[in-house]
Amino acid sequence: MTTTTSTKTILRAEGFSCPSCVAKIEKQVGRLEGVESVRVHFASSRVEVQHDPLAVSADDLVAAVGKAGYPSKPAAF
Amino acid sequence: MNKVQTWLHGRWAVPAAAGLLILASVATSRLWQPQPWGDLLMVAAAVVAGAPVVRKAWSALAVKVIGIDLLVSIAAIGAIMIGEYWEAAAVTFLFAIGHALEDGTLARTRSALAELVAVAPDVAIVLRDGEQVEVAAHEVGLGEAVLVKNGAKVPVDGLVIGGTGALDEASITGESIPVEKTTGDQVFAGTIATSGFLQVRTTGVGADTTLARIIHRVEEAQDAKARTQTFMDRFSSWYTPAIIVLAIVLGLSTGDIVLALTLLVIACPGALVISIPVSIVAGIGRGAKDGILVKGGEFLETSARIDAVALDKTGTLTEGRPQLTDVVVLDTDLGPDHPPVDEEEVLRYAARAEAGSEHPLARPILEAAAEKGLAVLGLPQHTEPVPGKGIVATLDGHRVAVGNLALLQAEQVEGSEDTGQAAQVVADLAARGRTPMVVACDGRAIGVVAVADTVRQDAPEMVRRLHRAGVKKVVMLTGDIEPVARAVAQQVGIDEVRAGLLPEGKLEAVDELRQQGYTVAMVGDGVNDAPALATADIGVAMGAAGSGVAIETADIALMMDNLLKLPEAVSLAKRTVANMRQNIVIALATVVVLMAGVLFGGVTMAVGMLAHETSVLVVIVNAMRLLRRKEDPAARATGARPSASSSAPSRERVPQRA
Repeated sequence: MTTTTSTKTILRAEGFSCPSCVAKIEKQVGRLEGVESVRVHFASSRVEVQHDPLAVSADDLVAAVGKAGYPSKPAAF
Repeated sequence: MNKVQTWLHGRWAVPAAAGLLILASVATSRLWQPQPWGDLLMVAAAVVAGAPVVRKAWSALAVKVIGIDLLVSIAAIGAIMIGEYWEAAAVTFLFAIGHALEDGTLARTRSALAELVAVAPDVAIVLRDGEQVEVAAHEVGLGEAVLVKNGAKVPVDGLVIGGTGALDEASITGESIPVEKTTGDQVFAGTIATSGFLQVRTTGVGADTTLARIIHRVEEAQDAKARTQTFMDRFSSWYTPAIIVLAIVLGLSTGDIVLALTLLVIACPGALVISIPVSIVAGIGRGAKDGILVKGGEFLETSARIDAVALDKTGTLTEGRPQLTDVVVLDTDLGPDHPPVDEEEVLRYAARAEAGSEHPLARPILEAAAEKGLAVLGLPQHTEPVPGKGIVATLDGHRVAVGNLALLQAEQVEGSEDTGQAAQVVADLAARGRTPMVVACDGRAIGVVAVADTVRQDAPEMVRRLHRAGVKKVVMLTGDIEPVARAVAQQVGIDEVRAGLLPEGKLEAVDELRQQGYTVAMVGDGVNDAPALATADIGVAMGAAGSGVAIETADIALMMDNLLKLPEAVSLAKRTVANMRQNIVIALATVVVLMAGVLFGGVTMAVGMLAHETSVLVVIVNAMRLLRRKEDPAARATGARPSASSSAPSRERVPQRA
């Protein structure tokens, strides 16, 4: 039996200008191995990811959001 | 060199490059006729400005989102295919400029939150084994002693255990006048020491600080959709595909491809899509900076309709700290071996009887006695609190009763009937807004002491401003007796009084107002207000900085214990909702006017894009008006109570015995 320790990482992104960004980022981040759920908040330009930190790091998440076209940074809260 | 690189990756690089290419194209086509170079440069401009748009449209399409980017892409590619190079370049160039501007201005509407995030502390100086150690702010342990030096940010939530200093608490309460802190006071992470030196025992770290709660609250509020927004979202999800279909039908039926492409450009729903979120983000951000937390868009919409406000009396309209106001001596003959009673004697009896009591009304009596230098020596031999009536104690063999008329009757004290002297004094004091307590000794009333809670200085001004903000009815709900409540209401200018209410009574009163068709906001701070707060359309918590629960649960949390924040919150909600409506009108009007312009001729693709991008910017700039503080000079003069909030986190309530 394997136990996965899941953690929540919050990224604050820049440049959200239209709500269609939401679907794009959710798709990009959602297909990463180890990501359980992604929620993108348009108005506050925030990305909440529930993930297994061993399988996918915060840096990987930042890279994925970047790939969708938006610079972001992990936030403490 | 670095600056150049940043700029090249910045938001202005693409529009600038495209703009230069367009200029070059215009210049070359003047020099050479016919103009292969000019056309080539124009196409290059369209490609430079359009490539990011096409890329975005493609990645959106990959997740089945049909957005503005797709409309612009189709229009630009179509224009190039039919040889309208200038139109293609102009459309993509204007779209790129518009985007760069939008980016910048949208970031501004989010600035209030960004500022809050920026004040989040990074490092803390902790005292470990007598040494000062610098650690990351989130690594401080609970209960550890943290040092806050002059000019530093407070890294944690905590209680001052040593030193004195002044803190700028603007990030929490919105009030920028520094607040003096000394031992026992509460301090918040993210506030800034403007003087002094404090030693703080940590009570909250990182996500468990008031600042983090505020940030969360603001973000959730900004993301929570208003009812109008949900409707608009549904609208735009079918609107864009519908426009594509309409363009195809128009192109096929008229054979006019330029017309069809122009329709695509002008119908971009950009302004429509962001019209509501920008207003909400700006409105909620503005509130947060002023210490007004609103739960979300929907609550803003409800708050804008508030036309009745229900207020608790004690602790909300009054200071919540009753003071002794009167000591009246009654003509009582206690017998030949007892000297005539005087004021000091009455107060001393009352104080001695109350010495063992924990009732809130005991405190002002004891304090007043101590102030007058009256020794309250020795505890009563026997104390018996009579719930709802008062207290009976045995002092040096005398049976002393302190309480209301019901207690006197129960004690069979002479003169306790309606016509008695004690009853008259009691009625007279109550009519003046005081809470009287008769002091009786061995079955005879010897005097009356009265306490009163002072009405807050800014309460009348608050009621005036609520009326000015469009509130029709201000109602006081209180557990206190009718005459006291009436006296306070008269001083404050309250429209309606409901006295003698139990918690359920307050709930019923709020419910009744709602049934009369009012949108009711209820302001309260105590546990006994909780049912009424939940029933009201909007529950408002005052002085919420000290309470994490209030920040998280109240529909509107006013961080500072300042009454004037209430009308401010109502008018902010009204302004925000009005702003939202203006934005929708601007967005829709632009689309309709342009649509008509295209169908009846005269509006080209470039003109359409210019008008469309302008409308987006107008909508954002309009929302940014909300970020401006609406300075009310009177607010500064009468209302500021800067230090009231944090140093007194819990206010005492005065349950009535009567």
